[in-house]
Order: sequence, then structure tokens, then C-alpha cells
Amino acid sequence: MLQQIVALIIIAWFLSRLWWQRRKNYISASEFLFWLIFWLLAALLIIGLKFIDRLVAGLGFSGSGIEVLLYLSVALLFYLVFRLRLRLEKIEKDMTKLVEHIALKDR
Amino acid sequence: MSAAGGSVFGGKTFCVIPAYNEAANIAMVISQVKPLVDQVVVVDDGSADRTYELAKASGAAALRHLINRGQGAALRTGTAYCLNQGAEIIVHFDADGQFLAQDIKKILAPLLTGDAAAVFGSRFLSEGGPAMPWLKKYLIMPLARAANKIFFNVDLTDPQSGFRAMTAQAAETISWRQDRMAHCSEIMFAVKKNDLKTKEVPIQVVYRSFGLNLLDGFKILKDLFIALMSS
Repeated sequence: MLQQIVALIIIAWFLSRLWWQRRKNYISASEFLFWLIFWLLAALLIIGLKFIDRLVAGLGFSGSGIEVLLYLSVALLFYLVFRLRLRLEKIEKDMTKLVEHIALKDR
Repeated sequence: MSAAGGSVFGGKTFCVIPAYNEAANIAMVISQVKPLVDQVVVVDDGSADRTYELAKASGAAALRHLINRGQGAALRTGTAYCLNQGAEIIVHFDADGQFLAQDIKKILAPLLTGDAAAVFGSRFLSEGGPAMPWLKKYLIMPLARAANKIFFNVDLTDPQSGFRAMTAQAAETISWRQDRMAHCSEIMFAVKKNDLKTKEVPIQVVYRSFGLNLLDGFKILKDLFIALMSS
């Protein structure tokens, strides 16, 4: 119970930071919405931890709800890193196009 | 050798030399290549030394990348320049002085007789095999050859040859996206995919450094995988 409260306080702090960043226009509306949904979902999962315990047990997992959430988070992180790598690749390619264009133009 | 210092092979032959921090070698390489082709094109790939100035002073058409983008990118810039200038044959050569300029004759011959549209230099076809480091000869190169065969169905003897020549038509047909070392495999694959007549000729390489190592080989595979996923 105490752990859940601490986790919710941390999420509340992140949400307040998010709100502040949006108000200062540091992040776009779509970015704000993405992180808002992300943190609200995290809060929801923490509140419903007992339910998730029952759900994962019902699905046949040997670990507890929080463990399964952790595994899923790691998988999600891997996916996000991969997406980031692809985005980086595109930026690199665009940068090369610019460099090549300038080299040919300057000649 | 022609008295005018141009190509002795007929056709308008351009030689692209990508160079990165090659101030120590570039003038020598240009002086060796220049008598054999109509135009030497040096693409300085964001060097921190005087590569660009020395290339220009040596009589090459010098282009400059503002920042380092890799050998594949520099070759792309140089090849685009050659095509714009009306080149009929384009040679890709290295700036480190490891290739022998005289081998340009060998690599151009099948293009001029019409036996090939793209010619690759092979270190493995020279008499007695390549004089390359043991690890490279018996481990890295066979692995690279296997990777080319498995992933690209390319079965050329030299999987990472940077010494090649092609007709302008072939250069216009093929394209490569890899900026860094993976362009070698990609060019071979593009040539095969477009069903261009290909030939390999023996070339000599004078090793001054180890060059690509096993880690570089994995980097090439990683780059090709990322490119595949992002395409």
C-alpha cells in the first residue's frame, strides 16, 4: 500500500512537470497528450494492481502483476529504442543528402 | 600513357577518390591516377587536415563534404558529379595509396570491350592469393563472403572491394543508400539486381593498415539490417 502511494506521488510530480512544460510551451500538444495518457495509464495500473495480480494469474503467468508489468515495460522500452534508432537513421540520411547537395552546389 | 595526360583507354573516364584525412597520401595518389584517366575527382569527406587543398593543388576536381558522412556518401557525391560532367566510365579508387594505379588498366579493359557494365577488383584473384593479414584472409573475408551470398545472393570473390569501375549507364541505373562501409555490399547487390554484366579482375593491394576488422563486419551487417527495417 505504501509503495503504491509513493508511486502515485511520483506520477503526480511527473504530471505536474508535464503541465508546467505545456504551459511554458516547451512541448507540443500531441507530445503533451502522449505523456498525459502514459502517466494516467501508469497510475491506473498501480491503483488496479490487485486486479492485475488476479488477471495475470488467470492468464497462467507465474509472476505477480507488478513483475509482468515490468517485463512488458522492458519490451516496450526495447521497441521504443528501436523506433528511435530508425528515426535517427532517417535524420542521418537527410543530413547526408544536404551535405551532398552542398558539395555539388559549391563546386 | 597519353602525352596529354588524359585517358589512354578511350571514352571519358573519371576516377572518384573519396578521402578523409588523407593529406599524407592524396597528392601521391592523384599523381599516379591522373595520367590514366581524363579527370580525377576527389571528394573530401569532412577532413580536419589539408586533404581538400592538396587535392585541388594536385589538379583534381575537388569537392568537399562539410562534415564527415562516410565513404559510401562521398562516392555517391563523386559519382553524381561525374555523371553531371558527362563521364562515360567511372572508376572508384581509394585515397590511402593501398591500390595500385596501374590496375586501373585492368579494371577498365572489360568495360571497353563491352564484356561488362561493372567491373570489381578482386584481391583474391591475384596470383598466389592476397597478401593480406592472416585473420582477414581466413576469417573475416570468408565470413563477409558468406554474408554477401546469404543476404544478397552475391558470389563475387572479394566481398569488400572498394576498387571498381562502371559505365555511366550502370552508374545511373544503380543506387546505394549506405553512407558508410556497407556500401560495398550494397553496390554489388544493386549490380546483380539490375542484371548488369559483371566481371572481376585481379588487383594488388599494398597493406599499410589492417583496415576493416571483425567488429566493422558486424557494424556493416547492423547498418544493412537497420536500412532494411527503415526502408
